[in-house]
Amino acid sequence: MTAEAKMARNKKRILYTAIAVLMVIVPLVFQASTGLGFLVRILVIVGIWVLLALGLNIVVGYAGLLDLGYIAFYAMGAYAGVLIGQSFSSVLGGATYWVMLIPAAIAGAVTGLALGFPVLRLRGDYLAIVTLGFGEIVRICLNNNIFGLTNGANGLPQGSDQLVPPFGAIWLQDNVRFETPLGQFVFSQNLFWYFIVVGLCIGAIIVITRLDDSRLGRAWVAMRENEVAAAACGVNIMTQKLWAFSLGALSGGVAGVTFAYVQQFISPESFTFMESVFVVCIIVLGGMGSIRGVIVGALLIRGVPDLIQGLAVAGVLKLPGEAISMITGYRFLVFGLLMVVMMAVRPQGIIPSSRRARELHPEDDSILADEDQSLWDLEHREQSSAHNP
Amino acid sequence: MSLSYLLEQTLNGITLGGLYALVALGYTLVYGILLMINFAHSELFMLGGYVGLGVLKVLSDPAVAKATGWGFLEPIQSFFMSGNFGFVMLLVATFGISAIVVGILGMFIERFAYRPLRHAPRLAPLISAIGVSIFLQNAVLLWIDSKQLPYTRVDGSAFVTAKTAFTIGSVNVSTMQVFIVVTSLVLLALLDTFVSKTRIGRAMRATSQDREAAGLMGVDINRVIALAFFIGPALGAIAGVFNGMYYGSVKFNMGFIPGIKSFTAAVIGGIGNLRGAMLGGFLLGIVESLASGFLSNAYRDVVAFVVLILVLIFRPGGLLGEAVAEKV
Amino acid sequence: MTSKRRRFIAVVAVVAAMALMVTGCGAKKDTSDTGGTKKATEVVIGIGAPLSDGAVALGKGMVRGTVLAVKQANASQELKDLGLTIATVEGDDKGDPTTGGSVATQFTSNPNLVGVMGHLNSGVTRVAVKIYNQAGIVQVSPANTAVDLTEMGMKNYFRVCTVDSVQGPAAADYAFKVAGKKVAFVVDDATVYGTGLADEWAKQFAADGGKVAGREKTTDKDTDFKALVTLIKSSGAEIVYYGGIYNSAALLSKQMKEGGVSIPLMGGDGIYDPEFIKLAGAANAKGDFCTSVGLPIDQLPKGQEFQAAFKAEFPSEAIAAYDAYSYDAANVIIKAIVQVAKDLGADKLTTTEGKAAIVAAVAKSSFEGVTGKVEFDAKGDTTNKAITVYTVGADGTWAPAAK
Repeated sequence: MTAEAKMARNKKRILYTAIAVLMVIVPLVFQASTGLGFLVRILVIVGIWVLLALGLNIVVGYAGLLDLGYIAFYAMGAYAGVLIGQSFSSVLGGATYWVMLIPAAIAGAVTGLALGFPVLRLRGDYLAIVTLGFGEIVRICLNNNIFGLTNGANGLPQGSDQLVPPFGAIWLQDNVRFETPLGQFVFSQNLFWYFIVVGLCIGAIIVITRLDDSRLGRAWVAMRENEVAAAACGVNIMTQKLWAFSLGALSGGVAGVTFAYVQQFISPESFTFMESVFVVCIIVLGGMGSIRGVIVGALLIRGVPDLIQGLAVAGVLKLPGEAISMITGYRFLVFGLLMVVMMAVRPQGIIPSSRRARELHPEDDSILADEDQSLWDLEHREQSSAHNP
Repeated sequence: MSLSYLLEQTLNGITLGGLYALVALGYTLVYGILLMINFAHSELFMLGGYVGLGVLKVLSDPAVAKATGWGFLEPIQSFFMSGNFGFVMLLVATFGISAIVVGILGMFIERFAYRPLRHAPRLAPLISAIGVSIFLQNAVLLWIDSKQLPYTRVDGSAFVTAKTAFTIGSVNVSTMQVFIVVTSLVLLALLDTFVSKTRIGRAMRATSQDREAAGLMGVDINRVIALAFFIGPALGAIAGVFNGMYYGSVKFNMGFIPGIKSFTAAVIGGIGNLRGAMLGGFLLGIVESLASGFLSNAYRDVVAFVVLILVLIFRPGGLLGEAVAEKV
Repeated sequence: MTSKRRRFIAVVAVVAAMALMVTGCGAKKDTSDTGGTKKATEVVIGIGAPLSDGAVALGKGMVRGTVLAVKQANASQELKDLGLTIATVEGDDKGDPTTGGSVATQFTSNPNLVGVMGHLNSGVTRVAVKIYNQAGIVQVSPANTAVDLTEMGMKNYFRVCTVDSVQGPAAADYAFKVAGKKVAFVVDDATVYGTGLADEWAKQFAADGGKVAGREKTTDKDTDFKALVTLIKSSGAEIVYYGGIYNSAALLSKQMKEGGVSIPLMGGDGIYDPEFIKLAGAANAKGDFCTSVGLPIDQLPKGQEFQAAFKAEFPSEAIAAYDAYSYDAANVIIKAIVQVAKDLGADKLTTTEGKAAIVAAVAKSSFEGVTGKVEFDAKGDTTNKAITVYTVGADGTWAPAAK
């Protein structure tokens, strides 16, 4: 190993250690500071979105399938986790959430398979519309109290029913509290959930990295770059797509049940088309196929506006009231514009995956152009030279 | 349920279908040439409704002349508000201006959001289109009005009063319904002739078959695409104005659901096929209306989406389309 | 290599920024402590309302009502004698349960906050109320109508408005007994509010002996009701009840009348809005009914006082649906704070004991409010169950209907 490579590795190590330390310290500091405890809850929600984005990233980023109804799997996981959990909570007690991860994951994956099996033969943009339609079907059915299960717009759990928090959450909240220079520290349920969500995200990252390096991951890349060529090379397109689709859906299901137990309540309004667009935005902005990218994307899109607003309301940041409501008002407008601009200027995202960057924005335009040119392109060099082949 | 009930629901469906068909033409035209779903098309439909309302108010609402203090509006308004000729001219002006404004906006969007991505992977223009759609919706929400606006003058009177055109059995057919259906059929006929008979129409067909070859044969690809992005949104805008007049209001998010359904209509008919889009529009309108009249109004959207999924699974080429192999 | 270095620098910058932020918080807290203890005790009331998204017009009204009540209280001699000032803090829940959860946590992490006036949406309350309950903080809502909110077993939850199970049946009784309608068609917009109201209405109408000829759902975004109108026409209904807000209700009324179905549409307080008449057109809306909770405020003794004070405080604003309720809800909390400050002392207000005492004091509230007598039953629902029926008159405005 050269000295330079070693230095690079050391730097990387320092960087990751610093991030890990920050991830533990920042929520603890928030929790201990008077009046800032709610920021931990915002971090929990952001974490759930990171999990969602990581899941959709398998589908969009790795397999190149645009899914505009991803939130449906999130909803399936949430409703499955709550409905089944309520029936067994008397037996399972504090283990309900942990056990419910399994049916929620299954609900997500099975829905993914059921939808994927018939529609994955479709071309990319058809698939986008079909998944959009599916997402709406799921939401409308939930909202119309289908089979009398979902309690319609009123959401679940009904009336005085409650979801049981996981083991230890209550005990820690009641017993771990002490004074710090910043204020009173309480090991709140939000903090408890924060560590669970971070754990889930790390788990997802490990699984996804391993997948990416596996045979499946390589098949996905081949498929994304050229489906016909991949099929000719012996990649079973249908199976690979189904894997990607159901793994993404599984991850959505896990995020869904976690969301349900964090919030202790779910209703169809949390599963609208706009939420699906949110997740797509995160991936596009962060970088399709890049794990670090989607994490940064989730932080930027889901975390930063809420954190700024929260800090402003808590008085840490000094912002005029109008600026605060501008953040909410103009959020979607800016996201829409960002999607257009990103596609034109930096389609690989803020932190691109190395493979994807080469694909979307070749470093060496001329070589690739020579490889990939057509007669028409040659004729129109002047017009199209600004764009990639 | 009686026969007249069935007839009346079918008539509702046909009118709704006429609107879907007009919007579907825009999807199909663009898809035929660029193989992309212009996701922002539904917002252009919505904007058509807004522009139409604006034009109607300026040209025929005395309250607007008063509020703005534009004295020169009064003679113009009295022309448009007097007699049958004035009324017809008002409609022509409304539909015309709305179609032209939105058509130009469509070309503008193509130029800045889609053209740079013409050689990018297929997902890129679709994501860009979703971005445009979100942007336009929020632009209307923030800069025009977040409220639902009535499609009337300030004093509450309608621009076009619905009258009964004729009666079948015990079922009344309103002038508005006739107007919508006839207009959409006429526009289809015009567009069909344009595409099959004129020189530029031939260029469009050539481009949709093979863009590169057409380019080599001397077709100005950019012009053809820009034209498609003018005609499609212009038709969508006309549907938007109709939608406002017929249902009575405009709102920033009104485009989304009709947009998806019109796309469904285009797919049912065979995307890229103009007559197919028209057929699909009417079929979907009738299916939806009957579903809501005989099954459940709550699940009407679900029925439309299920139809979309079924058609894509079992006949991805649509009713009038041919099965197309992926170009390699 | 260069890009790696750049990334490294970026991370260092982020760490530094975080560190600065954290020290910033610490420093800030110190100054507020030294400033705060010397003067009068300050307690805070949180206002949880949609302020940037959702039903913003109503949310802003909730802020106005609360701010007015708190301002009047702070000016009173009673608070000055106790050495107490009350402040408000706004929490923007955007009408969304998830954001509502964050707002609730934000409120409970404020040590001086002793009560919450809010939220507008029942879905938001469902999430938020559990968080307030854990922190032992009282919540008084001016607007939640979902019946089962007071059946969740939350001892800290109260509301000054009437619920669906009062408003729906009252409207049904009026339709059947006073207006003399025997056959009805019931539609709702598939929201919490609309479904709850329409269900209660249909139940009572059937119990009265009326016939519910059809039950359908639309959405709050729908504009095409032509198929529904045809269905209503064929059902032979004499009245349509619509559970939902004015946007869709107005278009349904308009399309009904245009489609030759000249029967009145009736709705809840969600359509008690001038926009309804504007959207439907005065000619179409004429004869439509709605109910609103409470008596018209200008008929109540305190109402005119409130209107005058409101005009003085917000000269350019109009009173929206929940301004008066929010004013009453805020006063419930203020009166409880004053009571506890007298019993236990102002400095005890922010302790666990003080917060529990405030909850107990709110439960025993009894005073004449702007919207009528304010008292709570054992579940936390108001005992004021007055409902007024309004109708659209020939002049195109809502006016109380003939009894």
